[in-house]
Amino acid sequence: MSPGLFQTLLVASLALCALGIAWRVAAWFRIRIGPDARSVTAWQRVRGVLATVAASLSGWRGPRVLGAFCLDALLLRRLFANAPWRALAHLFVVTGFTLLVLTHALAPFVTARLVPGYQPTLEPWLFVRNLLGAMVLGGLVVLVVARWRARSRMGLPHRPRAALFATLLGIVLATGFLLEAHKIASPRAFHRMTDAFAGAADPTALASLRALWAREYGVAFDVRTDVVAADVTAAGRRLHEEACATCHAKPASAFVSWPLAKLMAPVAGTLDAVSADAWLLHLHVLACFAGLALLPFTTFLHVLAAPFSLLLDAVARHGAAPARPLPLAARATRRALSVDACVRCGMCDLDCSVATLARHLDNRYLLPSHKLVATREAASPRLRQAMRRDARALADARRAADGAFLCTDCGRCTRHCPVGLDLAELWDAGRDDLEAAGLPAAATWVRERPAIAWAESLANVGDRAVLAVVDASRAPLACDRRTFSRCVQCQTCTNVCPVVAHAMDADPRSAADPGVDLTPQKVMNLLRLGLPDLALGSRMVWDCATCYQCQEQCPEGIRVADIMCELRALSVRRLAAVRDVAEQS
Amino acid sequence: MKYALFLGCKIPSGLPAYATSTRAVLGHLGIELVDLEFQCCGYPARNYDRDAFVVAAIRNLALAECHALDVLTPCMCCFGTLRQAIRMMTEDAALRARVSRSLADDGLVWSGRATVQHVLPLLAREVGVDALKTAVRAPRTDLRLAAQYGCHALRPSDVTGIDNPVAPTIFETLIRAAGATPVDWPRRLDCCGDPSHESNAPLSGRMTRAKIVDAQEAGADAICTACPHCHLRFDAAQAAESAPAMPTLLVTQLLGVAMGLPAQSLGLPHAEDQRADAFP
Repeated sequence: MSPGLFQTLLVASLALCALGIAWRVAAWFRIRIGPDARSVTAWQRVRGVLATVAASLSGWRGPRVLGAFCLDALLLRRLFANAPWRALAHLFVVTGFTLLVLTHALAPFVTARLVPGYQPTLEPWLFVRNLLGAMVLGGLVVLVVARWRARSRMGLPHRPRAALFATLLGIVLATGFLLEAHKIASPRAFHRMTDAFAGAADPTALASLRALWAREYGVAFDVRTDVVAADVTAAGRRLHEEACATCHAKPASAFVSWPLAKLMAPVAGTLDAVSADAWLLHLHVLACFAGLALLPFTTFLHVLAAPFSLLLDAVARHGAAPARPLPLAARATRRALSVDACVRCGMCDLDCSVATLARHLDNRYLLPSHKLVATREAASPRLRQAMRRDARALADARRAADGAFLCTDCGRCTRHCPVGLDLAELWDAGRDDLEAAGLPAAATWVRERPAIAWAESLANVGDRAVLAVVDASRAPLACDRRTFSRCVQCQTCTNVCPVVAHAMDADPRSAADPGVDLTPQKVMNLLRLGLPDLALGSRMVWDCATCYQCQEQCPEGIRVADIMCELRALSVRRLAAVRDVAEQS
Repeated sequence: MKYALFLGCKIPSGLPAYATSTRAVLGHLGIELVDLEFQCCGYPARNYDRDAFVVAAIRNLALAECHALDVLTPCMCCFGTLRQAIRMMTEDAALRARVSRSLADDGLVWSGRATVQHVLPLLAREVGVDALKTAVRAPRTDLRLAAQYGCHALRPSDVTGIDNPVAPTIFETLIRAAGATPVDWPRRLDCCGDPSHESNAPLSGRMTRAKIVDAQEAGADAICTACPHCHLRFDAAQAAESAPAMPTLLVTQLLGVAMGLPAQSLGLPHAEDQRADAFP
């Protein structure tokens, strides 16, 4: 590769990387998740975060914050607690890669300046380079396998760009090892060097030098074209000491490339003939540049986002005693940062309290890793536009809302997140966004119209397939006359109902709480009359506190509260089917 | 005695003191608690999908069964929910078949061997008042407490069965065992309002407030709770007030203090702060 092209590509990929990072980092301060985030500007957020971090680091609790940050971000304490093998692999990749960049990629600027007489082909660099490369490659393999297993087990979202980036990293390492192995075995490389440094040497000494290099340095000479002496003579050894030894150590310590070179020996001449070294070098360098340019646009941006998230986490948890919530500027930034800091490792999903529900309801949005992406989308005005245009986007957004509101806020995802996301706080903000986007919990959207309007919609839609059959297995009590036909309308249920009692103080003009529409006894009567649809959207059904007073006191032993629960489950399904019909009419 | 401890979702996130105080008190009484990989009891899904609700609930019981343990929970709502799920499984064969198929995917089997117990009846009956009185070192005779039973502990009584649903005494017995005095408050069996909070916050607020006022009028120093939902609802209703009119106290904290256990293990502030802060 010509130096000009190399420089152009290097500058281009560096520029892309820098611009990409700037664009993505700006989003951490610009994206607004949660209605309260709208009250702070991006600039206020930048200043707020800086002030919060600076204040906590400079205070007397600073060392604690810093200590927690170092343990979490550099030593991956949280990951070690959950998945020690992955943590070890991750440490290998990060340490190996960073040191390779410093000692190998930036060798002219770093190693050569720090170590006088640096040559990449001397010890310890042959060994160190192999060690670092093996660390990265080994760690990468462990992480990819772990990721693949987690993905097939939990259906984590697929990320083609991240896969591409990991492939590029693999290419960089593979070509590095292959190039080194090829150079060890290559007769042409040997000739190039002897032409330059031992051009005037005696042919017999050169033949002896070849014998030495074939034996101890792994060069795979072709005996048909190269004269290789039978023995290493003193002259050959002297020539080696004069021309080679100052720059070359025996490559056997390159424990990956050396065996590779042995494997490649039979084809060393062929590889020379096709200029394999140039191809490998180009591939190696181009993969590096491509990776550099791609970095900001993949989840590998977490190399910046995750430490930032862990820093804010350390500040939130150790910055004050007793711990208090971060200021809104920092919280809003933390929310926006979440999607970039998340590596979709799936640890939150694995330990999610509603994982069984997610699987049974076939709704992936109950799982934190999917909900995270949906939360960021729900905050975007684009979602609202898409919902209006596209029925599928609307259905998907509603499933996301179901997931968000069925979450139990147990906080396990937050406790297990290796990058320190405050997911519990994010879910709260996300639910507010969903409500603002017209996607509230079932208990809210059902109440948006009176029971009679819902019943009319259901009647108008009539016997459409979706509504034709009330699924008796979903609501066996509400669908079985025998459970409620004994009702004598004595009103005991109504008399003991706290919802009815406290509705006396409700404000009939208020939209949220206008009082009771149907009493429990009336709900039972509608069931007796075969008019369950009239009860489905009623406030009584949805206000019911399931205190079971009605059921306990019913002289006929009717399971009133159990029926109320079934009616809710029924109404979620049936009213959802006519939700849009009702809104259009 | 050995139980699988089912904390549910609310306690670890909102009321960790209930977990620590339960462990401290039961540990002190020689009851071994085991932590299993439990998930949500299913409660939130009940309004959404009956099958999903039962699968979620029964999965936990099948897991306990797998370890040959009975389940103990400090949460009334988890308790009621798990027991409801057992009832549904028992009376609906088609449901049982569907749920069993779903559990089989996880290699789990439910046969109904694992029972569900709540901390209140465990303390009052299995441990027994005599054993508790022996363990009490520092009876809190200064306290007058309003026992908050929690609906899902008492009703429906054919499912929960912990005490007489219209005239329960079990909670008052425990309060007396700790040396304190239970007050007689007319609304003691009423709902705290928490389950209605999501659908109708003003209504829920009135329900909570009525109970707080009632406890005050009965001369209680605090409401004694045995459910995280009730406990946190009372706290939330008074969050805006600088000094809550009616503090809340967990039954396990009360017993722990009476047994002389360290305040920190009960999730209470240090002894010197007790008067001023959470402990009444």
